Amino acid sequence: MACIKVEDLSFTYPNGKKRALDGVSFEVRRGEFLLLIGASGCGKSTLLRHLKSVLAPHGSTEGRVCFDGRPLSEVPDREQAERIGFVFQHPDDQIVTDKVWHELAFGPESLGWDNKRMRIRIAEMASYFGLDPYFDSDVAELSGGQKQLLNLASVMALSPDLLVLDEPTSQLDPIAAADFLGTVRKLNTELGITVILCEHRLEEAMPAADRVLVMEDGRLIFDGSPRGAASALFRASSPMFRAMPTAARIGCPAGFDEAPPLTVNEGRSLLASLGLEPKLLPSAQKKECERRERLRAEGLYFRYEKNSADVLKGLGVTLYGGEIYGLVGGNGAGKSTLLSVLSGENRPYRGKLFSNGKRLRESFGAFEERIAHLSQDPRTVFSKESVKEELFSAAQLRSSDPEAAVTAAARLMEIEGVMERDPFDLSGGEQQRAAIAKVLLTEPEVLLLDEPTKGMDASVKAVFGDKLRALAGMGIAVLLVSHDIEFCAEYADRVGFLFDGSIVSENTAREFFCENTFYTTAANRIARDTYKNALLTEEVTELVLSERKRS
Amino acid sequence: MRRDAFYSVHPAAAMLFFVIVTVTTALILHPVVTGCSLIAACAYAVYLKGGKALKFCLCFVLPLIAIVAVLNPVFNHAGATALFYFRNGNAVTLEAVLYGVNSACMFAALTLWFYCLNCVMSSDKYVYLFGKTIPVLSLVFSMVLRFVPRFVSRIREVAAAQRSLEPRLKMSPVRAVKHGLSVIGVTVTWALEGAVVQADSMKSRGYGLKGRTSFSRYKFEKRDGALLTLMLVCFAVYAAAAALKRIDFRYYPTIRAAGCDAPALAGYAAFALLCLIPLLLNILEDAKWRALRSKI
Repeated sequence: MACIKVEDLSFTYPNGKKRALDGVSFEVRRGEFLLLIGASGCGKSTLLRHLKSVLAPHGSTEGRVCFDGRPLSEVPDREQAERIGFVFQHPDDQIVTDKVWHELAFGPESLGWDNKRMRIRIAEMASYFGLDPYFDSDVAELSGGQKQLLNLASVMALSPDLLVLDEPTSQLDPIAAADFLGTVRKLNTELGITVILCEHRLEEAMPAADRVLVMEDGRLIFDGSPRGAASALFRASSPMFRAMPTAARIGCPAGFDEAPPLTVNEGRSLLASLGLEPKLLPSAQKKECERRERLRAEGLYFRYEKNSADVLKGLGVTLYGGEIYGLVGGNGAGKSTLLSVLSGENRPYRGKLFSNGKRLRESFGAFEERIAHLSQDPRTVFSKESVKEELFSAAQLRSSDPEAAVTAAARLMEIEGVMERDPFDLSGGEQQRAAIAKVLLTEPEVLLLDEPTKGMDASVKAVFGDKLRALAGMGIAVLLVSHDIEFCAEYADRVGFLFDGSIVSENTAREFFCENTFYTTAANRIARDTYKNALLTEEVTELVLSERKRS
Repeated sequence: MRRDAFYSVHPAAAMLFFVIVTVTTALILHPVVTGCSLIAACAYAVYLKGGKALKFCLCFVLPLIAIVAVLNPVFNHAGATALFYFRNGNAVTLEAVLYGVNSACMFAALTLWFYCLNCVMSSDKYVYLFGKTIPVLSLVFSMVLRFVPRFVSRIREVAAAQRSLEPRLKMSPVRAVKHGLSVIGVTVTWALEGAVVQADSMKSRGYGLKGRTSFSRYKFEKRDGALLTLMLVCFAVYAAAAALKRIDFRYYPTIRAAGCDAPALAGYAAFALLCLIPLLLNILEDAKWRALRSKI
């Protein structure tokens, strides 16, 4: 029995020239776990929103959506509220009330449940989702991952048959994301809830799904098994193949595109069965003598309040011009705090900072010392009506020829096409690049970035990584704080591991990651028995291919 | 903060207690009434917050009493018993001094009661009390409590991000205001963007359907009933004494109090008991715990 049936659905936004959805048809069986993938802006969200009447966007729609055998338009709102649950992308924005218990009660309150029924359901939800320790807490005390679990729990409080999730983990760190997806999977297998999930992060989601839909420019281009999806995208040499799980990206080119491996474990078995000859990649030459020190911290100690615990404990780090330094570490290790201290927003109570070898005063100005800090949300630096004005306001402060400087920065960041638009209307990747362009116009020598790849899909990330390389090529020292191990491995020159307020290990990216067992890239975990220090999917693929050709 | 037995009392009973006590204290300027109220409020505040409350009493309440007590006779020259005269011929009267002391004590008692109210009545309880009558109001209240702190911290974040992009010059007041307005503008844009998502999330969970209810985590127990009865009886006794004009006190022109007979004493005792209810409840509970522990 079909839970949802979409029949030849087409949709055009009121001012749109192109169809955002173009003849989409598919069916979801009861209890199925469906994964919807596609590049940013391909119409995934638009499609998901058509699965619930109150969320359907305005515009001209053709075709129809059936829920449980009836056209969705004939299913009353009350029934839809109860039976179709929807979780959105941003954990913070979709929370309505100030207390955890009140948030859990929100849905039942709206439907007018009596107190006794609510009490039982809320108790059930809090225990099932592990939220009982926070039951009385303010929502603000929860971490991002817990907030998203709360959103899931408060949707599940109405016990829906269908759960629709629109990029629910894009704002979470990898551990919280895996936790969240694990919970969704549990809901699917234990309670038989039908799940439609839209995701960028496919390493865990692909193996969990029963079926995958691939979208491109408003059309469905694939509908089938996860393995089938990986192999179809590979054979079509689609750019979407970049987003596939690492095991599939190694397995397909190696000739296993019939039924490619999806998990790290499957990838390892595959490589083991090939009987490859162990090999070491040459490690990168250290260019000690050429490096120029830009910013150095020595023995930094910092805490937010006199009686609170130290967040930074004797931290030392050196940033060199022309180098990308990746800083990884768990939640609450002090990564964002370190950036605020390095940019002078917070003052360490002990320790020294040196800029270009010169000791910095206790209260230094980031602008004067040419240190630029971009926080997790790039929207914080915007204050004007258009990207162009935004860039001009920054360029005027430093440059004698703002016009030329703005043009150059826009070209470097590839945002010439959006110069007249409101920075708040841009996509996440464009916002990040526009914000960096603005920051660049203050002519920094040190660029501090906090989780810049959050919410970016694979191809947007690749463009962004190239931009970072270009900045380093200009002699700027880049400090990249990130949860994204794959990104750090690919683009950082050196990597440090921040734990408990200090940097516990630091090395070139290759040496750093291949020493670790858990904290390393998926490609390394797959190939480490054969190619101990191969980090990137491309490296492993190339090694495997060359070996296969020889034999 | 200590575990407080009064905290677990039903919000309606707790709220009624604070309303009765604060309104009576504010309306009746009588040394015994004010004194009972002040002592009880002070004791309860110290019980709740310990040294912190004591510091609050010493650093804020005592100076307040002193200032009002001094200022009242300086500006108010009513009263028959002159103590001494200013150069301009105005008298400082005994009545004005005592009146000042009494009203200062009243302010102090009210301040302390609100201090206790803050500890006992969490936002949930207000939400519950209002939600009983108007479900939407409790939701709005809860949403505001979530929104305001987020908005404020976002303003800080935006201000910090934009400050780091500019030279550290001393800004002219006009520019500083402009800058501040632009920060608020950006934050409002952000908030509106979030509000769109929030509206979707609310609609998606059935907001706007007919017959909204309000979840309450509080049950009205027998104990709450008993407490409520005790409070009402105390207040009734006090009110009866007041109605019989046994609790009258006059400062001007000369001090005159109603006699100290049985109805008056009963009224005073009832009011004192009323004020001490939270503290007595705590003492009772502490004693019970000690007794339980000694048995183990």
